[in-house]
Amino acid sequence: MSLVLQSSGGGQITIQEPTTASNFTQTLPAATGTVMVSGNQPAFSAYLPANQSISNDTFTKVQASTEEFDTASCYDSVTNYRFTPTVAGYYQINGCVGFSAGITGQAIATIYKNGSEFKRGSQIGALTNNPSISVTALVYLNGSTDYVELYGLISTATTPRTFSVDGEKISYFQGFLVRTA
Amino acid sequence: MLYDKIMALYPSLTQQDFLTVITLQNDSDGKGDYIKAWNHPTLAKPTDEELA
Repeated sequence: MSLVLQSSGGGQITIQEPTTASNFTQTLPAATGTVMVSGNQPAFSAYLPANQSISNDTFTKVQASTEEFDTASCYDSVTNYRFTPTVAGYYQINGCVGFSAGITGQAIATIYKNGSEFKRGSQIGALTNNPSISVTALVYLNGSTDYVELYGLISTATTPRTFSVDGEKISYFQGFLVRTA
Repeated sequence: MLYDKIMALYPSLTQQDFLTVITLQNDSDGKGDYIKAWNHPTLAKPTDEELA
């Protein structure tokens, strides 16, 4: 048996019974809010596919162009490398940036919101080996115009100066909806 | 590069200056590096001619 709710917009929502002989109880919370199902929970993960040359002491957007998943097609992996979700809410945003070896100054990974630096993650000093550093933040996005991007900065005279990669393991950008607004 | 041109104009600038009062940025849109913010207390923002 299915329960069909007719919407005022002409469509309908069907609550479908499970195809199992077992019994389950699912309790709706005694609270007001939007029910979250897979269809309204945007999530994405993308990574930088090849080393990206960058300038010294310049905040540069990571061109994470290889998508692992993008459940709601909210991540632009072609032009702007940004996540613009279509559901308003609170998003967990994760970023990791790998850097070339020989940093004499600093390296930074940071999240930009709407074009400005918003949450800075790790900021490390001089290192000889290839470091990869992370940034994570819980960010409110309005579901229409708000977007986030991943930037990195390196301070070093050593060249080549790059965001470095190792398959999908280093230099990636991710996000998912934690809860709706 | 923009960083090198600025350092040639103002050799006294430090790495810390580029993390505090000066922000250089590249949006990976093909337009290259640019000065996002210049709030140095004594040194004037370079003109386009100086950076050309």
